[in-house]
Amino acid sequence: MDSIYSQYAWLIPLFPLVAFLIITAFGRSLRATSIMVALTGSLIALMLSILVLFEQMGSGEEFSERFTWMTIGNVQLSMGIEVTHLTSLMLVVVTLVSFLVNLYSMGYMKDDERISVFYGYIALFTFSMLGLVLSENLLTMYVFWELVGVCSFLLVGFWYTKPEARAAAKKAFIVTRIGDVGLLIAILLLFWYMPDHALDFASIKNVFDGQTGTIAEGITTLIAILIFVGAVGKSGQFPLHVWLPDAMEGPTPISALIHAATMVAAGVFLVARTYDIFEASQAAMNTVAYVGAFTAIFAATIGIAQNDIKRILAYSTVSQLGYMMMALGLGSLTGGIFHLFTHAFFKALLFLGAGSIIHAVHTQNIQEMGGLGSKMKITAWTFGIGALALSGIPPFSGFWSKDAILSTALDHNPLLFVVGLVAAFFTALYMARLFFLVFTGESRSKAHAHESPAVMTVPLIVLAVLAVLAGFVELPWSGLGFLGGWLLPGEEVVHHGSELVMVISTAVGALGIYLGWLIYVKGTISRDVVSSRVPGLVKLLERKYYMDELYHAVIVVPLRGIGQALQAVDDYIIDGVVRLTGAAAVWTGRAGIRMQNGQVQTYGLITAIGLIVLIVVIVGRRFW
Amino acid sequence: MAYNDALGRLTWNDLAYLTPELTLVIAAILLTLIDLALPNRFSRQTIGWLSLSGLLLSLYFVVWHMLKMNPVGGEPGAVVRLLGDSYRIDDYASLMKIIFLVGAALIVLMSLGTVKRDDELPDKGEFYTLLLPAVLGAMIMASSGDLITIFVGMELLSITTYVLVGMRKKVTIGSEAAFKYVVIGGISSAIILFGMSYLYGVTGSTNLGLIALGLQNAVSQYPAFVYIAFFFMLGGLGMKIAAAPFHAWAPDVYQGASTPVTAFLAVISKAAALAVLFRIFYNTALFDTSYFKGGAAGSLGGDVFLAMKVLAVSAMIVGTTVALRQRNMKRMLALSGVANAGYLLVPISVGIVGFHSNNMSELLFYLIAYLFMNIGAFAVLAVVSRAAGHEELSGFAGLYYRAPWTAAAMIVMILSLAGLPVTGGFFGKLFILIGAAQMKDFWIVAIMVATSVISYYFYFSVIRQMFMRTSEGGGEIWIPVPTGLAIWICVGATIALGIFPNPVLDWLNTVFSLPGDLWVR
Repeated sequence: MDSIYSQYAWLIPLFPLVAFLIITAFGRSLRATSIMVALTGSLIALMLSILVLFEQMGSGEEFSERFTWMTIGNVQLSMGIEVTHLTSLMLVVVTLVSFLVNLYSMGYMKDDERISVFYGYIALFTFSMLGLVLSENLLTMYVFWELVGVCSFLLVGFWYTKPEARAAAKKAFIVTRIGDVGLLIAILLLFWYMPDHALDFASIKNVFDGQTGTIAEGITTLIAILIFVGAVGKSGQFPLHVWLPDAMEGPTPISALIHAATMVAAGVFLVARTYDIFEASQAAMNTVAYVGAFTAIFAATIGIAQNDIKRILAYSTVSQLGYMMMALGLGSLTGGIFHLFTHAFFKALLFLGAGSIIHAVHTQNIQEMGGLGSKMKITAWTFGIGALALSGIPPFSGFWSKDAILSTALDHNPLLFVVGLVAAFFTALYMARLFFLVFTGESRSKAHAHESPAVMTVPLIVLAVLAVLAGFVELPWSGLGFLGGWLLPGEEVVHHGSELVMVISTAVGALGIYLGWLIYVKGTISRDVVSSRVPGLVKLLERKYYMDELYHAVIVVPLRGIGQALQAVDDYIIDGVVRLTGAAAVWTGRAGIRMQNGQVQTYGLITAIGLIVLIVVIVGRRFW
Repeated sequence: MAYNDALGRLTWNDLAYLTPELTLVIAAILLTLIDLALPNRFSRQTIGWLSLSGLLLSLYFVVWHMLKMNPVGGEPGAVVRLLGDSYRIDDYASLMKIIFLVGAALIVLMSLGTVKRDDELPDKGEFYTLLLPAVLGAMIMASSGDLITIFVGMELLSITTYVLVGMRKKVTIGSEAAFKYVVIGGISSAIILFGMSYLYGVTGSTNLGLIALGLQNAVSQYPAFVYIAFFFMLGGLGMKIAAAPFHAWAPDVYQGASTPVTAFLAVISKAAALAVLFRIFYNTALFDTSYFKGGAAGSLGGDVFLAMKVLAVSAMIVGTTVALRQRNMKRMLALSGVANAGYLLVPISVGIVGFHSNNMSELLFYLIAYLFMNIGAFAVLAVVSRAAGHEELSGFAGLYYRAPWTAAAMIVMILSLAGLPVTGGFFGKLFILIGAAQMKDFWIVAIMVATSVISYYFYFSVIRQMFMRTSEGGGEIWIPVPTGLAIWICVGATIALGIFPNPVLDWLNTVFSLPGDLWVR
């Protein structure tokens, strides 16, 4: 079977784009229509993506097509799409979550007067994200990479009347820019060193696969690490993770779509897409693995001490992205992508569930919630499933993907295995804390909570089903690992199940939940058992290891000082020169205008004089 | 292939090659009759549409003939020489004609929306009818291989545009503009004719090919006369293309004329004069440059092209700096046109050496970009000034909030005029810049860049008006369908040229060959 649908994969991003254009053109007046347009666009994109995925899962061939965009000298820049197994999987993840978020927002954003703008931005984001996924070379990918950043900026700052939202949008943009600079330098280096200046992924694979020595190892490491810097920014890895929790100022559906399921996973996707470069450099792989592992445990510990429901989930996202990076760094592409895949569903589920809760009680502080389980049954059940999946309890999807990562870690690097286990324990603990504080016990909220409308609960249910089932695409027993063999055709599947790992990780997860239950439901252990003994530790976690303060003192303040100094140079020297040039231009202009007095005699005279001067100067030059 | 009659008689068969021109002649006569016969109470829109069809039909013939001459993958056909090589149908002429006809068609399209309700333009039928002979004049200029036919075409274009400018006869500045245009136009024609007569005097021929042959002898015998001939022609044509210091008429005339006529002057008149300039100077003075004569000789050619460079540079500087202080949109666009005349002169003036000979494609690419961005800007100006009741910059105030799509279209035009990506204007300027750099004319490169940067100031003042000023009661913007269509064609083309510049440039390079298509031999 040839690839039929894959040839038309370029259509997929076009539907959200068209939706965006229509909404921007007519949306201001037509709220209902613009919602329908956005829904239709994303639904068609979803259906096409599913067709492409099925085709790729069957015997469909991978497909790529490009055309030359422009030729500069003998360098050709091309644009194109490439459908591989990995991209077809990502297509479905993006379009599915996007569609569900579109649906969900009908309820969540119902009373917002700028709802059509909101839908327009989502459509633009979906387009950009799909473009990023489908890109056939690094350059176009970078364009879309920036475009999703812009959309994220717009959506985080969507409620721009709130100063926090404005600040968060700015922070998100600036911090990710730091990573983007790394990526840009990596692209430039690749452009420089690659044969024929090729930037497409196929050529990159050819050059780096097996490291034939085309590019020196030092440069390879440098390129890989710079690409990873880009991924660190986008995927909120330590030390550039600080923007992601703040980005929770955006509307909750956006947090689910952009800051949980898709855009933040773009960093992981980027590493996976350029995996051959990383595989060619052990140093780069180690960097990825250790940064990932550190982020995983670092963010998980912060998650325990937060009280804002969305921030807890945000730190959880940072931590889970760390897991994915760790898997990639340990050489398990399958593990990383598998976790990306399952995480997209259960984390989107958790965010949308959190949105449903916020919608009902109008607060984000979990200390002010409680007892919602009986009032919001669907939300509670689906949220519970998401929480179990995240905590790595079998048979939910998170268990399988986390197991894949942990067993790889045990094989390659026992230290990272332990780090992963501890992080998993904290994950289970903060999820248990979150769940029990919100859904059980006495109500501490003044609001009269009730279940959300069907447009919001249906996406929850769909995602809950996926959060249960998504793990079964790759089971640890031999013969049942479908995903790995499919993602890496022809390569040996590294993943082999170890019952020991499964038992340990389940035990750790269960222990975390049990501890949470003891503290927050049973009350056997006092809640301030830690804070009363080591108040400093809790304070440290609450203040997120003082990372923001550190950045403020070490980066923002000095930068501002340098900025002021440079500003002075700018004001007095550069501006002086510019003003002088401007003044010169204005004076020339004035002289020109003086000639423009409206008298046709003058015009004739100027012409005659001009001609004479021209002749005299040019010819007279000979006799000088 | 046309039989080249030694006496240059025109046969019936030759008429087939003249179909584009004849179409315009017939259309112009028919439309005049219809205009006379049609009672006054009928709208003149029909005449406008018929005029548009005439232009498109003529365009069709040009393209058809051109495709026949350049079969895909085959050898290009021979140039058609008519009337003793005084009228040539070569690829250069055809490309120029395509530019004129597309430009004129867009101008008619935009007028179909605005002229109907323009009370300042009483003779709407005549307006549409007169555009046809004007385009015809431009086409004759592009096709000519002889000084006489060039002059005839130029006068046909000039005289009809004098009338077109004077059509707003009830408006004081309109009549004033027409008067000035006639006087200055007359001066320029006289100067050109003076130069041509000297050239004829020293070489004994009006045919460009024969002039080229006789030039060597003439330069050595009568250098002063040859210099006068070339400098006068350059000066006269400089007036036609409004290059400084011969530009003084342009702002007044542009301001006084009705907007579509202004667009016509800015695009088609200018392009036609450039076409002639390129044809004449590359047939004659070019052979006296050091590349063709070798060594340090080539004093005449070198001087002529140096003068052209000076003209280009002064046009850029004067156009840009004077535009800084304009508050009237039409005057500003007129001065922007002066600066653009400078940019357009650069690829002509840098001359040719072995490794750089695609001047023609550089010129044509920017001309194409210039056509779309200018006509688009004028079309937007036409609707905006109608709503505001005046043509001042302030009419654009708050346009984004009144008509967001039109504001977006205007942004594309402005970006292209300012030479920023991703628009045709960017690549047009870039190609010219690269050409000048290859010729090591770095002072021209520096001034091009500097003036482009200065020009941002006044171009962006339009954007500032559209976004950051609130409208002081500017009326509802109503965009007639044909005008809107013209605007969006221009936007589409400008962006397309900015995203895919290479196909166009490659095609121009393939189609055009200097010896085959330009040189009259």
